[in-house]
Amino acid sequence: MTNLIEARGLSKSYGSHQVLNSVDFNVERGKIVGLVGPNGAGKTTILKAVLGLTSYEGHLKVLGLEPDKQRHQIMQKVSFIADVAVLPRWLKVENALEFVTDVHPNFNLDRAKYFLSKTNIPMNAKVKELSKGMVAQLHLALVMSIEAELLVLDEPTLGLDILYRKEFYNQLLAEFFDEGRSILVTTHQIEEIENLLTDLLFIRDGEIVLDASMDEIADKYIEVMVSKENVEKAEALKPVMQREVFGRKVYLFEGVGREELELLGELHSPSVADLFVAKMKEGK
Amino acid sequence: MTNITWNDQQPIYKQLKEKVVELIIDSEVNEGEAVPSVRQVAADYQINPLTVSKAYQELVDESILEKRRGLGMFVMECAREKLLESEKKHFLNVEWPKIVQKIERLGLSADKLINNKNEKVEE
Repeated sequence: MTNLIEARGLSKSYGSHQVLNSVDFNVERGKIVGLVGPNGAGKTTILKAVLGLTSYEGHLKVLGLEPDKQRHQIMQKVSFIADVAVLPRWLKVENALEFVTDVHPNFNLDRAKYFLSKTNIPMNAKVKELSKGMVAQLHLALVMSIEAELLVLDEPTLGLDILYRKEFYNQLLAEFFDEGRSILVTTHQIEEIENLLTDLLFIRDGEIVLDASMDEIADKYIEVMVSKENVEKAEALKPVMQREVFGRKVYLFEGVGREELELLGELHSPSVADLFVAKMKEGK
Repeated sequence: MTNITWNDQQPIYKQLKEKVVELIIDSEVNEGEAVPSVRQVAADYQINPLTVSKAYQELVDESILEKRRGLGMFVMECAREKLLESEKKHFLNVEWPKIVQKIERLGLSADKLINNKNEKVEE
């Protein structure tokens, strides 16, 4: 089984409001997939469906199981950090470790202790005494110590400063991720993780508007800074977006050959953020 | 490895590969020594491990690195000489002609520049 997540025609509505409109996507083993979209596009609903935290319509398999019926089995192999992740304020760090040891069959206590020993978090501290960054470190230590095949991260670094954010992803790559696991992550700080991703999913108004590997994106989307005399030629090739830098036009092309574009000017790969803006404006 | 600032004109694995080549040529990693593990490089630069593997794999294909089972990637004997050779070729065939062109465009003389290379021009 190479697909850890497989969604076909996944839909969800709250009353008359459809938040997911027949969405198809896969998350393969060994991939780090970024799920990106504006607020309210349906990102968290997808994650909740995957984790069996909400009902849905359509076909959804997570590790070959159905989240709405087999949540208990899925939870043994999936771990999760929510954007609203909270640990009880009165809980001591050592109690948190004991608790997870008791409730989770695949939790490795030694690993958790090892991760915590690399931080400044004292075992006898209460959650309320920890800084926001430390709480995130504690959370990550707990989650990385679960022998999970799939890790779901919903805005995991929200509210953390840049040092903690870097450290977070550093730990994840150094200590957790390998070719046997997958990570599905949503974040608004996309520029910080774009080099980390293998695949990208853009979602807009409950629909997937981009589903591609980073390699495919590098082949398909090219930005060209065009000098004045080439503007007409460039526009004839139907760029999907244009912007101006120092008075020169920069065009974003989709699916136009490299050879053809090289004649117009210097080629660049668009950042995921620029691509995102283009895809969100498309057809609007 | 030191900091790298990525540019958006080349895939990251190519840039990483060039960085490793630089390290070998500058003898910061010697022949017979190990290069940092894929995991380490991925974590340090917050890039996908596959990107690192791809860069290393190309260097394996070019007989610059070799994989030793269970131990990691090592710089092969003669790697430095080989790289120096190909870098020299690249310089002479690609970069030097451009420099010569520029020298001529500016109305300078290559001979004079080379003979007086330590002299600075008053501004």
